[in-house]
This record gives sequence, structure tokens and C-alpha cells, in this order.
Amino acid sequence: MFSGWNLVAHGLYLFLNICSLEGGLVQSCGHIIPESPVLALGSNFTALCILNESCLDFGNIYANQIIWKTKNRLVPKEQYREINRTVSSVTFNDTTLLATPLTCNILADGQIEQNIYGITVTLGLPPEKPKNLSCIVHQVSKLRYPMTCTWNPGRHTFLDTHFRLKYRWPREGFPDCIPKDVNNSCTITDVQFFVNLEIWVEAANALGKAESDRLVFDPIEIVKPLSPHNLSVNSGILPTVLKLSWENRISAAVMKLKFNIRYRIIGETNWMQVPPEDTASPRTSFSVQGLRPYTEYVFSICCMKEDGVGYWSDWSEEKSGVTTEDKPSKGPPIWRIIDASHSPAFWTVHLMWKALEPLETNGVILRYEVTVRAKSPLSHPPEKYNVNTTSLTLKLPNGTYEVTVIAHNKAGASPSSVLLIPARNSKAPVKNIRTLPKDGKLWVGWTAPNSYVLKYVIEWCLVSNSSDCVIEWQNEPGNVQGTYLKGDIKPFKCYLITVYPLYADGQGNGQSVKAYLQQDRPSKGPTVQTKKVGKAEAVLTWNHLTVDEQNGFIRSYTIFYKTVDGNETAVTVDPSKTEYTLSSLASDTLYTVRMMAYTDEGGRSGPDFTFTTQKFGKGEIEAIVVPVCLAFLLIVLLGVLFCFNKRDLIKKHIWPNVPDPSKSNIAQWSPQVPAKHNFSSKDQMYPEGSFTDVSVVEIEADDKKSFSEQDLKPFDLLKKEKSTSEGHSSGIGGSSCMSSPRQSVSDSDEGETTQNTSSTVQYSTVVLNGYKHQTPSVQVFSRSESTQPLLDSEERSEDHAGGNDSTTQRHQYFKQNCGQDETNTARPRFERAKQITPANEEDLVGFAQLQISGQNSQPLGLGLEKNIEEATLSDVIQASTEGQTVRPETVEENPASADEMPKSYLPQTVRQGGYMPQ
Amino acid sequence: MAAAETPSAALRRRDLCSRGIRLAGKMRSDVADLLDVYVERQGLDASANVAALDGVPAAAAERWGEQTESQRLLDNLAAYRAFRALLTEMLEEQRDQAGPADTALREALAAVLLQVSAFAYHLEELLRLESRGPPGEEGARPPAGPRLGLGLFERKLRGLGVLRELAQWAVRSARDLRQLSKPGPGGTAAVPAGPAESQ
Repeated sequence: MFSGWNLVAHGLYLFLNICSLEGGLVQSCGHIIPESPVLALGSNFTALCILNESCLDFGNIYANQIIWKTKNRLVPKEQYREINRTVSSVTFNDTTLLATPLTCNILADGQIEQNIYGITVTLGLPPEKPKNLSCIVHQVSKLRYPMTCTWNPGRHTFLDTHFRLKYRWPREGFPDCIPKDVNNSCTITDVQFFVNLEIWVEAANALGKAESDRLVFDPIEIVKPLSPHNLSVNSGILPTVLKLSWENRISAAVMKLKFNIRYRIIGETNWMQVPPEDTASPRTSFSVQGLRPYTEYVFSICCMKEDGVGYWSDWSEEKSGVTTEDKPSKGPPIWRIIDASHSPAFWTVHLMWKALEPLETNGVILRYEVTVRAKSPLSHPPEKYNVNTTSLTLKLPNGTYEVTVIAHNKAGASPSSVLLIPARNSKAPVKNIRTLPKDGKLWVGWTAPNSYVLKYVIEWCLVSNSSDCVIEWQNEPGNVQGTYLKGDIKPFKCYLITVYPLYADGQGNGQSVKAYLQQDRPSKGPTVQTKKVGKAEAVLTWNHLTVDEQNGFIRSYTIFYKTVDGNETAVTVDPSKTEYTLSSLASDTLYTVRMMAYTDEGGRSGPDFTFTTQKFGKGEIEAIVVPVCLAFLLIVLLGVLFCFNKRDLIKKHIWPNVPDPSKSNIAQWSPQVPAKHNFSSKDQMYPEGSFTDVSVVEIEADDKKSFSEQDLKPFDLLKKEKSTSEGHSSGIGGSSCMSSPRQSVSDSDEGETTQNTSSTVQYSTVVLNGYKHQTPSVQVFSRSESTQPLLDSEERSEDHAGGNDSTTQRHQYFKQNCGQDETNTARPRFERAKQITPANEEDLVGFAQLQISGQNSQPLGLGLEKNIEEATLSDVIQASTEGQTVRPETVEENPASADEMPKSYLPQTVRQGGYMPQ
Repeated sequence: MAAAETPSAALRRRDLCSRGIRLAGKMRSDVADLLDVYVERQGLDASANVAALDGVPAAAAERWGEQTESQRLLDNLAAYRAFRALLTEMLEEQRDQAGPADTALREALAAVLLQVSAFAYHLEELLRLESRGPPGEEGARPPAGPRLGLGLFERKLRGLGVLRELAQWAVRSARDLRQLSKPGPGGTAAVPAGPAESQ
């Protein structure tokens, strides 16, 4: 069944093909009208598909089988209409949605779709009416005047639209002007003037044609002429006039021209213009007046139709010219700096004047003529100076002068500038001087004095650490009370500005103010450091920032300080201060401090500085130490007083009484000795009071310890021992030359007492009182430098009496003195005494006396008389200086003697037997 | 005639006269320039004397001062129609020469031709204002026969003569129009003086 239908369909297909080919290659079973239409967007459109009759018979194809497609998309059947059995129509209400191609197709047997015909539909818009048609005639040469017309072509039509510019005279037409590559302008190569031209634009495409409104005009009314050329500028006789000449490039037969002339000073940008009414008529030259002398001007000119109908030409090329010179219009501003420091009688006057502005020089300044006229009654004739520079330094006697400066150029001399240099600036100064930055410049204002001021001089200079104050200045008329500084005023720099009022008969004092054009933060902050740190306060100090570092007025300082872990505290400090005390600080704490300096624009911080507060406050240590010291001193004083009160007791313990050799049994055994003594002279030589000093020194030098009660105990014991041995101690006393006093003392007190005593007295044999119950016949203080036993002298006195052989005596002496030379014993000890108490001259003197006495006593071992003298002296001292002792020198002074002592002392070791004659 | 003019017609006449005078002045200036170019391009002597040419209207007129306005207009119109034909001929002759300088000459000739046509239009309009209307152009066409047999040099000389005569006519026409623009006995509105025709 299916195969049968397929066979039929296939046969039908072949049939249609055959039908198509039957009438040739292009024959088909139908066609569409209209053929490839151009449709307006948005319009409605109806197409008809008409089947050929021949196809109806062979294929049973009818109009009701037709289907319509737009670009292979089926058109809804609602838009179809079967007009008859061979014609089917399709209608589109809006062609905007109509896609191309539109095809007419047929369904054979309701299944097989066969294309019958197709058309291409072009959619677009009809042209709009061109609008805003306007024309201009550009003169391109003397004879050629092409006219260009422009218009608005309207909307895009999506179609090929042609524009034509049509023009004609009333009775003569011209070829259309067809735009090239554009659709909104066209240029007519040449137009003729003085005949009205009718002109319009025609736009046309497949959907229609449109014309612009028609313009009728004479092309001469829309001409933009060429600008005049060959412009030349010539200076005239007058220094304020330049004559311009030019050539016009449009014939006067075509149009009469009027002109416009502009000019400017070379280097400036603003143009000035000659009044148009002065150049409203045809011309080829014009003299421009009112120009500045000796100034280069640039000129340019343009033209248009005289009646103002049409367009201005472009400006011509620029040409320049220079006016001739004229006399300088004013004298140069003059000022002075007076240096009176070198000599009070003479001034160094540095005159300076400003070069005139170009507007004022009116030429080239060739020289300045300076006249200095002294105004004193005995004035000399005025002195004239011709200089080429703008300054002149003169040395003038102190006084009042009138200085005149005149500038000369080729055309003549300027009016004179006069400056009065008074002896003193005694006139009223300006008041209330103030500054204000404005528009990038620094404005200075002041309040005028009550008197009439001729003019003001404003001086200023940049204040800097690195450079001197180089003065700049300017003049201002006397009727102003403020001006801008005319100079290179830099921001962030400090300027010292001084205003002087100049009067007809003198000059006022200058009033100064410091100012900044613009402030900034300081370039650095102050470096703070501590001047003094206490327990709870710290004195901070810093230096002011230099002017170069300030960048503005320092309004305040702020000190920031904090502990390591604490919050930062800020303190604001007056900018005039350089020191500040931080208080309420924690003791023994590390603080970090920094300092910021503020201007009006902000602040900048200096480096951090750390310090640590002290643990103790001021006086705390003193409060502890002083009482302790006082207590110590009090104790010492009490000890001294105690010792003083107990001096007798102490003395007995420290200096055991030495038995008086004269009272000894041996002395008694040598009965001639006392008879030989003559003590009368000794009494005079050593009065009682002469040893008082020695006694005092002895006490003071004693260590307190030696007088302490604890120490006194051993003395008591010693005393007791000594007391018990008094009876046979004469042998000990005789052996004291070999055993140092220390040895004798060390029996009772080994340590300190011995040392202390050794520091004051070398050694001595003191016979103050008679040993207890012994009373010497004569109180003698005897000091011996010798280690020779006293008894020996007694013994040798006998020898001396017998023959007194010095050689033999010396020999014996050597034996007893352990080989020490006699002469060597005295001086070294004296010298050692000097070494021990070098600072106590008085003591030394006293001691020297003792030494002398010792030396005097030295020969006791040499001669009997001396021994007698010494014995007598000992008695004297004993009587007069009771209780006052002179301590013998300690062993440390001569350790060698101590070491050698046992050898020589050996024969005396037998104490019980008393003295053993050798 | 003048008494019957409406204000608008008077303004129109004055405008036509004014612009006609200026057009005549420009035409004279352009023709003078064209003469220089023409003499140079054609290799002629500027001082060459050209005798009166057949078909070229002569600017000289006897009793010129006694002519009526209409006669002036008609004489001018006839002359310029003749010049239009003559210049058209000259332009046709120049088309064969293709050099750039010849192009400039042709453009200048075409420009003068346009001006001649424009001036003829002015005259026709003025004649319309005279209620006469311009005459037909058939009678104004110059006889073409005799020039067909001219040689090249003669044609150049003839062209020179045409241009010289046109320059003369430009001067005369300016005077004619200035004469027309003067207030007539019928109260014709005065026309401002145009540029000096001596320019």
C-alpha cells in the first residue's frame, strides 16, 4: 500500500520536473507578483502566487495547496487567501517583520512540498525632506568662487538614496551638483554674482523623492573672501604709530570690503583691536595709533563685504613691527642701604635703583645719571655719577642728602627720581603691618601714618640659616595701604618684610613683620632630651627648630611621653619655651618621650628619647646617710670624751711606766752619775709647756679603739703585770733599745694599738713620772733614737770617765746596737718620721724638736755628760708633761732592725738577772 | 511707464539696476583679466589692432545721451545676446585644446559667458518691468556663415575683438543702467550710486 503511494508521489515529482523543463530552463508552474518589490518599512503588502494552467491539468495542483514562506519560515494560513483555483494571495500588515525571500510553495498530495516561485523583498524608507540647506561661497582665488552647500539629509532610508543640489537662475538652469561620497553637501565649482540663484536639494530613492525648501539668494551675499595678503608694518615718525599696508584679493568690482585689524605686543597672548568703525571702508592701508614706544607689535587683518552681509575672511598671516624709541616715561625707583657700622662719622650708602619696566623705558637705557646733593648749609656742589649698572656705593659723611637718578635712552632723559636720605628716620612709622597670602602672592598691608606720605618702600628678604638676608624692595605710591610683593616669593620660606614711609622731608622708621606665603608642616621635629631626671619628674630640654626647618610659624610644641606599656600622654607647650618639667612620673620607670612642633599646617615629631626615672628622690639618700653619719660621729665623739675622761687609765695601759734608770738599783750602783748631771740648762731648754703639743698629738693620733673600754681591759691586765714586774723592770728598760716599743706594747695589745702608736711616734723612752713609787730627781722627757740600753750609757759613762776612747766606745756600741752605725740611726728615723706625718708640719716641728732632743740624747751612749743630760731631761719631762706620752716608733718602720734584734739582743734575754754587763 | 510702477516694481527695478551695474563692473574686470589670458594663450599681441568685426555689436553709439530707457535696454539686450552667442562659439573652439592653461582659459570664458547671460537676464527683467517684455532671441543670433571659413588665426583675432568689445559694452552698460536708475521725471525712485565704472 505504502509503496504504491510512494510510487505515485515519485511519479508526480518527475512530472513536475518535466513540466518545469518543458518550456525551457526558467519555466515553472507559477510566479509571484509583484516581482522583487521595494517596500516601505511598516507598510502592508500583498503578494499573489499565480499557478500556470498547464500545471493544473497534469499535477492536480490548485491554489488551495499553496503555502507561503518567508526565509523558509511558514507564513500563517490566516494571511492566505485563495482568490481562485490558480491564484493565492498572502498579506502582511507590517512589512517590518517580512523576511526575504518570500516563496510560494505547493504541497503535492498534501505531503510533498514543492517550491513554485520566490521573490526578494527590499525594505526601506522613502527619503525625508532635506533640511537646513545653507550655502557659503569660499573665495579660493581672485576669480574663483566655489559655493558649497550643506544640508541635513534626514533619516537613514536603508535604500540607495540619491541627493542632488539643484540651482538655477530664473530663466536659466544649470547642471545639478551631485555629492561625491557624502549625502549632505555639494560644491558648485563656480558661481556668478549679482543674479539671484534659486537652489534646493532633491533626495530620491526607490520609495520616493523629496525636495528641500528652496533658497533664493545672490551668491555675493554669502561670500567668505580671502584675507588680505602681503601685510607689511612700517614704523612712522611718531613712536606710538605703526602703519599697516596690505593687498586685497577680491576685486572691488565684486565687493567692497571692510576690515578688522587686531594687534598684540609680541610675547603676549591677548589681542587688541582697532575700532571697527575706523576700518569700515575699503582701503589697503591703516595707521594704528596709541602704541607703546619701542615695542614690538604683531598685526593681523581680516575682511568681509562692506555691508556686513556674508562672512568674515580668515585672519591674515601675522606681521610684526617695532615702534620707535621715546624718552623714558618715569625715573627709576630708588632705595638705599646705609651701613654706619664702620665709622660713626661716615656712612657707606649703597644706592640701588630698579631698571625700568619695558613699558617705562621706551627704548634702550644707555646710562643712569646719579646726583648726590648734601643738604647741609655748608654743602658742597652736587656730585654727579654716570653709571651703567643699577647700584652705586658711596662713602658719605653722616648727614642729609638728596639723591637723584635719571635714566637716559637714545630718545632722551627720564624724569628724575628723588630719594631723601635723612640723618635720622625720625618720622612716624606705619602701623598695624600685616600680611596675607592671596592668589599665590604675598600681600602686605599697613595702616598709613597720619602725615602725608609720598610713597612707601617695602623691603623684604628671605630669612634662612644658610644664607644672608638679601634685601629686595619695591616702591608703592603714598595713597595705597597694601600691595603684593613683586618678586619670587617661595612657599614654606620665612620672609622678613619691612615697610618704610617716605615723607617729603624725611623718612619714617621701618616696621617689620615675618610672613610665609604658604606654610607647611615642619621638616623635622625638635630633638628632646633630659636635662635632669628625678624620681617623679624629669626636666626636658630642646632647641628651637631652625628657620629652614620650621616651614611656618611654630604655634605650639606637644610633648608625648609614655612608659613601655602605658598610654601616651601629651602635653602642649608654649613655642617660646625650650624646657619643660614632666611631673607625676613613676619612679624607676623607663619613659619614652618625643616632641612635635606644630605650624598652622600640622606638626612633625622629633626622635624618641628614653630616660629612666630615679629610684630615690632628691634628699632621700641624704636623709638616710646624714643621720647615720651624725650618729656615727656622735658615737665617736662620745668615745673621745670617754677616752679623754679616762685618759689616765688608758695611759697606764698603753704606756707602761718605765722605771727611772736613775732610781734603779744600778743607778744607785753608779753613784757618780747623778753628780755629773747638770739639769739646770735642761730645765730651761725643755720647759713644762713645751711638750704640750706633743701630748695632744699623741692623744689625737691614738685610735679610739685603743681607748675603748674593751681595749682598756688588757691594759689593766698589762698594768697589773707591769706593776708586778716593776721591781725588776729596769732590765727591760735597758733592753728597750733592742726590743722595739711595739714589742713592749705588744705584750698588752698586739694589734691596733701598736700600729696606731707607731704611726705617730717612732719610738720613745718615756719617763713621765717616776715609776709609781719612784720619783726622779729631775723630770726629764728623754727621747732616744738609739736602741742602746740606757744602762749601757751609764756603764760607759764610767768608761768615758776612765779614758773615753771613742773607738772602743763605738766598737762596743756596735755590739750592743747589733751592728748599726751610730750616725745612721738618727737621720733615717728622722726622715721616716717625716714620711709618716708629712702633712702635719706642726707635729713635725714638734717632733723635730724631739728629734733634736733625741739627737742630743743620742750621745748618751757616747759620753757621760750627755747621758746625764738626758736623764735630767727625762726627769723634767716627767715632771712637766705628766700623763702625756710620746710613743716610740713601731717595728714596721725598721723591720730589719727587728729581724736582727735577736742576735744582738740575745745577751739581754736574761731578764731575771737584770742587766748583764758585757 | 515709470509713473505706473508700483513700489515693489520700483524696488525691483532699483535692485536690478544696482546689481546690473555691479555685474557690469565685475564683467568688465573679468573680461580685462580674460583678455590678458587670452592674448597670452593665443599668442597674440595685446596691442594688435582688430578692425570692426561682423556680428560683433559695437559699444559706440551716437546720441547715446538721447536714447530712451527702453532703447538703452533693448540695445544692451541685443548686444549681450550676441555676445552670449559669440562667447559660446569661442568656448566651443577652445574645447579642442586640452592643456591645463587652456582649461583655465576655458573656465574664464565660461565665467564671462555666465556673466553675459546673467546681465542679459537683468536686462530682460528690466524690460519686463517696462511692460514691454524682452524681444525674441532669433534676431540677435549672429550670422554664422562667414566665420566658418575663417582660419585659426583669424578666429583668434576675432575672439580678441569680441572680448575687447565686450569690455567696452560692460562700461557702457554700467552707464546705461546708472542712467536708468536716475530719478526720472515720473518720480522714479533714486538708485544709490554704484561703483565707479572706471574701476
